[in-house]
Amino acid sequence: MTAFAASHREVAAQLMSRYAIFIVLVLVYFLAVAISDAFLVPTYIFNVVRQVAPVGIAAIGVTYVMILGGVDLSIGAVISLTSVLCAVQMNGDQANVAMAIAISCAAGAAIGTINGIAVALTRVSPFVLTLGTGVAVLGLTQIYSGGTARGIVAPGFREVFNYRIGDVVPVLAIAFLALAVLGLLVQRFTVFGRQLFLIGSNRRAAHLSGLSMARVTILAYALSGLFGGFAGIALLARSGVSNTLSGQGLEFQVLAAVVLGGTTFEGGRGGVAGTIAGILVLVIAFNLVNISGLPYHMQLVVMGTIIIVASAVYGQISARS
Amino acid sequence: MIDKTLVPLLAIKGLAKRYPGVVALKGVDLTANAGEVHALVGANGAGKSTLMNLLAGAQAPSEGEICIEGQVVRFDGPASAQDRGIATVYQEFSLVPQLSVARSIFLGREPKSAFGFVDTRRLAERTRALLERFNLKLDPDAEVATLSVADQQLVEIGRALSFDARILILDEPTAVLSFAEQDNLFAVIRQLKSEGMLVLYVSHHLREVLAIADRVTVLRDGEKIATRDTAGLTVDDLVSLMLGRSGAYAKTTGHQPDSADGSLFDITYRTAGPESRLALRGGEIVGLAGLVGAGRTTFARALSGNALSSASVDIGHEGRTLHFSSPREAMGHGVVYITEDRKRDGIFAELDIVANATASALPSLGLGPLRNSRKEQAVSSNILQRLHLVASSLSAPIVKLSGGNQQKVLIGRALLTKPTILVCDEPTRGVDIGAKAEIHEILRGLARSGVAVLVVSSEIEELLALAHRIVVMHERRFVAEMPAHEAEESQILIAASSGSKSMEKNDEA
Repeated sequence: MTAFAASHREVAAQLMSRYAIFIVLVLVYFLAVAISDAFLVPTYIFNVVRQVAPVGIAAIGVTYVMILGGVDLSIGAVISLTSVLCAVQMNGDQANVAMAIAISCAAGAAIGTINGIAVALTRVSPFVLTLGTGVAVLGLTQIYSGGTARGIVAPGFREVFNYRIGDVVPVLAIAFLALAVLGLLVQRFTVFGRQLFLIGSNRRAAHLSGLSMARVTILAYALSGLFGGFAGIALLARSGVSNTLSGQGLEFQVLAAVVLGGTTFEGGRGGVAGTIAGILVLVIAFNLVNISGLPYHMQLVVMGTIIIVASAVYGQISARS
Repeated sequence: MIDKTLVPLLAIKGLAKRYPGVVALKGVDLTANAGEVHALVGANGAGKSTLMNLLAGAQAPSEGEICIEGQVVRFDGPASAQDRGIATVYQEFSLVPQLSVARSIFLGREPKSAFGFVDTRRLAERTRALLERFNLKLDPDAEVATLSVADQQLVEIGRALSFDARILILDEPTAVLSFAEQDNLFAVIRQLKSEGMLVLYVSHHLREVLAIADRVTVLRDGEKIATRDTAGLTVDDLVSLMLGRSGAYAKTTGHQPDSADGSLFDITYRTAGPESRLALRGGEIVGLAGLVGAGRTTFARALSGNALSSASVDIGHEGRTLHFSSPREAMGHGVVYITEDRKRDGIFAELDIVANATASALPSLGLGPLRNSRKEQAVSSNILQRLHLVASSLSAPIVKLSGGNQQKVLIGRALLTKPTILVCDEPTRGVDIGAKAEIHEILRGLARSGVAVLVVSSEIEELLALAHRIVVMHERRFVAEMPAHEAEESQILIAASSGSKSMEKNDEA
């Protein structure tokens, strides 16, 4: 029977849209190798991974929200806040490290939960809402820190995260990859993960199918906030300096990575694996900009172009399939 | 000189369309004349849509030719078909809601004034002339968004006519119309016919086809089976041509549920008017009839926890009164609704069949927060096999399935929650006749296993064949109730349109 009569071209288009980013990642990597031998050196590669860890970690949580059909623009502000919070709570004392990390994570999750509750219970668009909470959180961060860099990182904190196992792999890079795997497992193997896709694909159908829309929505935003907290800590660990504006603008890199990875603003498709590939493509592109001697801010131009081109390509592919 | 009257307006010769792996149309011949209403019928997948798309210029044939007035024509797109006088009104409209009727009809071809602005006066004149000529009752200045679906359809028809079309293709035109609106559409079609147009009428509704068409062509599996005059033809004749066997619907026979053995659900429905009551029993199929706008869907949704603010339902069962405030809560008590609008709020289009089938039962199949994919796969495969789903693979996106198979997946989704009351809103809308019979059999099987089934349908024949008991709704209340084997179509129609069971008014609906 011909009940399922997808043509070869359609199947190809679908495979393309699902795996495009991984193909792009491989191509970009070969391009990078062609331009610079550095991309063949493990130490350099893991350095790149370490460099991108904060943005990558944040992008995992934002991916959940975007599969759901939402968006989290407050993520940059959450990174700034949790990073400052962590430094201040540590106050240069190793005894405070565990508590500081816990408080930072809790703060991130709390902001995410507030976002989630507001999205679930009101009709404000997630775009406007999280833009608003982002601005508010930025203000809170400034008030909390008095507008200047405050807080001192405990001795050893930075050293542990930047320690290179076997002189090659930094702990921070491992932590990022571990969180990515965790994120992927949650997406693949939990009821929550599947429900994200169901709601993102068709809200009305999900409601009629008896899904608890509010619970899934709140949990998704809470996780986005929590991963934002992890990202804040990772940022602090990477730089070692607390700065009230350190997370500013990172939301755009996060969104760029998520969109590049195939998770669209419409929701219902994409996933964490694509996001990770997306972030790696971005960071390799940034490094190529640097290596080829272009001005640093050229990175922003590259990033903007990538967002537009990626969206256009995915739009084309899904229109055809 | 060729005598023009002898040359058919439309002649199709050996038209074929192949897709990779599928032959959708296998050498169809067809002729149709000016001043004729010619219907195209066939089960889903019979090739109606393909034939329509070839005529509309939306696709190019693999073989064969299309002749208009004896001249072979070739289209390289819908616009070139329009230029040759073939206009198509699809089931899904393509209107801009913010524009006026006049602007919509002449969109892209508005008369311009000296400075390139739209000449509103000439636009209004031309619109009025067009509407009057074809007797379309529309206000040229009305905004499309404010119009009823029926009037929007007239706007689409008006736009088609404004191209000076000689052949008008109507795709399932009555799918969205109530009885009265349907009468109006038929009047318009007759008017077009008297103007010498050829109307190609594509429909699932055989009764309508017999009412409006002069001739009907039946397609089956991409081949033309027959072209017949509709005079003297019956629905059963058409069905047997379409299926290659006879009999429209198998009747629900035997097993009249005994009111004593099934558990009873005493339903109280409150809306703006006085409250209204209805009883459902385990093991029984109740058919809910009524006109469009009678409030059947509103009731069906309220019953399953998805009420509008103005409606509420209480269910009395075993001495308790239940009231649901969400579909989730209703599902928890075994009351499950299957939507009338699969595409809008039924399927998860980009997700696979398993994800669609298990959407409601997900938590119960897994362990705590964790999913159990193997079990999901197993139960989906099991239930969908029972429902005779035709699919190459359960990991195919559901949107690739036919309407009937999508509906089976939705039924499967409902069954995996183990319902005690199953509410099916138009369970066979947009489903071909073969799958219809299968879905009926599935619902009968459910009733036999003790489920209380409520079926909402606009097809009275379907309700008569499927239900044990018919309940008629009129203006948001239940106005009549009768055993299906004693019910007559006319009786139901009268109750549905007048709200009274009596036969005082003898005007046939």
